[in-house]
Amino acid sequence: MTEVVMWVSVGELCQCGGFTEQIIVEAVDHGIAQPAGGNNSADWMFDTAGAHWLRKAVRLHHDLEIDWIAISMVVDLLQQNESLKRQSLAFEQQLGRFID
Amino acid sequence: MDFKDYYQLLGVSPDSDSKSIKTAYRKLARKYHPDMNPDADAEEKFKEVAEAYEVLKDTQRRAEYDELREYSSRPDAGFEPPPGWQTNNRFNGTESTHFESDFSDFFNSMFGANGSEPEQRSRGSRGQDAEIEMPVFLEEAVSETSKLVEYLIPVYEAGQVNEVKKSLKVKIPAGIVDGERIRLKGQGGYGQGDAPHGDLYLHIRLVPHPLFDVEGHNLVITVPLTPWEAALGAKVTIPTLTGKINLTIAANSRAGQRLRIKGKGMRTKTGNGDMFALLKIVMPPSANDEVKALWQSLAEKAAFSPRKEWSN
Repeated sequence: MTEVVMWVSVGELCQCGGFTEQIIVEAVDHGIAQPAGGNNSADWMFDTAGAHWLRKAVRLHHDLEIDWIAISMVVDLLQQNESLKRQSLAFEQQLGRFID
Repeated sequence: MDFKDYYQLLGVSPDSDSKSIKTAYRKLARKYHPDMNPDADAEEKFKEVAEAYEVLKDTQRRAEYDELREYSSRPDAGFEPPPGWQTNNRFNGTESTHFESDFSDFFNSMFGANGSEPEQRSRGSRGQDAEIEMPVFLEEAVSETSKLVEYLIPVYEAGQVNEVKKSLKVKIPAGIVDGERIRLKGQGGYGQGDAPHGDLYLHIRLVPHPLFDVEGHNLVITVPLTPWEAALGAKVTIPTLTGKINLTIAANSRAGQRLRIKGKGMRTKTGNGDMFALLKIVMPPSANDEVKALWQSLAEKAAFSPRKEWSN
């Protein structure tokens, strides 16, 4: 049985291309992900959702060459968009049951 | 190997200055970036554009590319680099996009770290993370369940990309919610040389259920009632994910009303979510003369109009 993990450490993120501890601190400062694990950034842990948005943010920061304020806005809008899409699908499904 | 016209890919002329190249790249990157554009072919287009920019943004690499471009305009079929070609500006991928491992053969042969110096690539890069969607049935999400995951992982061997089929048995934790991601450490793309493998992420997608809708950790079931059950009250049997329960419908219930059934929702880390019975009133498909007469009598005796406020 394969081991399932729900957390990613800063050290593990830094093994992925584009990540450095400084970039992670910058992304956290802009509210892109919320770490657990205290004040020392080297000890931070992110849940898998946080790590997902950090990866997206770092990709966008590099590939589109835009600053962190713009990235945090883009990530915020992407999250809103994802949540609204999910909500809309759920409402559609419920409405279908209700008007059948 | 085909020659790649990077100027054409970015839609700029070969004598464009670096500012125009940057502007063209940014415009196309915004359009095709896979984090911004969900179209299936957007990622492929973005990779091409990113590859072109990777070469043209660097003055030295661009000069080398221009030399190759000049050479490629010879009428011979296909493209082969000039004899003894070697870049002085080898790409190491450390500052580039996360898609660099998918750059074309042309790029890898001319500028890539895995071109003529395979040992350079083996020094380092960790395998890429991979993500796949994992459909999970609601019944499976109620308790801890194990699922078989089968997926393909690209493997780079001797300058070629082959896909290897992998299968894993994975324990899905109880109380998993739609959209959550599970990390399987070291099950992603293979690392180069001694570098660690990437991770595999399972993106959980709850399969739509024929009876239940999911709202966070709560479940919603739409309960059809006859008009007289709604008016007079009733006892109905409701299915849940773990069996059936009896639900008392109060007299004078309304369509759209939600009745809370505590603890019959999805598992959470601290307990169970709730189930909500959403009431829906269904008219009988047809009425015989006797039933019609009863409706008529009800209409006269109830003296109720739901559109009363429209008459003001």
